[in-house]
Amino acid sequence: MKGIIFAFIGGACITLQGVANARISQDIGTWQAATITQFTGFLMALVIALIVRDGKKHGFRKVKPLYLIGGGFAAFVIFSEVTAIQSIGVTLTISALLIAQLCLTFVIDIKGWFGVAKQKMKLPQFIGIGMMILGVVVLKF
Amino acid sequence: MLAGILLALIAGALVSLQNIFNAKVNEHTGSWTTTTLVLGMGFAASLIMGLIMEGKNMFTLQHMQPWYWFSGMIGVGVVICLVQATRILGATYAISIVLTAQLGFALLWDSLGWLGLEKVPFSFNQLIGVLIIVGGILVFKLGGKSDSKDSAGAIERRSALHTD
Repeated sequence: MKGIIFAFIGGACITLQGVANARISQDIGTWQAATITQFTGFLMALVIALIVRDGKKHGFRKVKPLYLIGGGFAAFVIFSEVTAIQSIGVTLTISALLIAQLCLTFVIDIKGWFGVAKQKMKLPQFIGIGMMILGVVVLKF
Repeated sequence: MLAGILLALIAGALVSLQNIFNAKVNEHTGSWTTTTLVLGMGFAASLIMGLIMEGKNMFTLQHMQPWYWFSGMIGVGVVICLVQATRILGATYAISIVLTAQLGFALLWDSLGWLGLEKVPFSFNQLIGVLIIVGGILVFKLGGKSDSKDSAGAIERRSALHTD
């Protein structure tokens, strides 16, 4: 039960984050909103990281530089998500976002890109994607 | 409308890439060290893009409200919740619930128009659409994908770092 509550609140917070970013962007601009929210999040994570000290020495050195800058994508994620929410609403934005996210992850898993363990595609995943796209069509029309 | 959908799709694709890259970092260090790096990079990229696109205007924050400063902490809450949920439930179930909650709250938000966003009136079509999408997510996630334990672990790490 505790796990379900955590997962539920986590999901709610992801949506809340997108909505809050859209709201803040109306007032101070989208890039400004992205910068401020990432900055305060960074500071808080830094404080926690300094307390729990879960970093291994030289850990970052073993990671390819490309992977280290992955966090920078957030700037474009926030910009795109905020602009989408403002033009098509939260529900349609989150729906399309999740479909693209799951589909690309699925393709990467099948192809084994970026050194992830290759997985075989199975029927349920195709049915699932089909249902999600159908859902968006129903949602809109 | 098409532009909006296209932007949402781009955002989703970037989230997918980011989750994989973050998981690669997390293989070599702890969750909080990874989260700190990820948010730090996000901050740097946003600041640089803002300066390129808006120049000096980047620093004029009109109508700034105090709570704007704190909203970035929602991301930290997300990390705590996802790490705990994944630990207790395993990645597949945890992420299924996370995605469902994401969509459910999206619909709730549109219908209520909280925080002064434009209200999108609730319709029966929207509810059916969301339910079909949730059904699709459950079939996709619980439909038995991974053949090896190893790959399940990789998905777990990746999912635990979804902070956008």
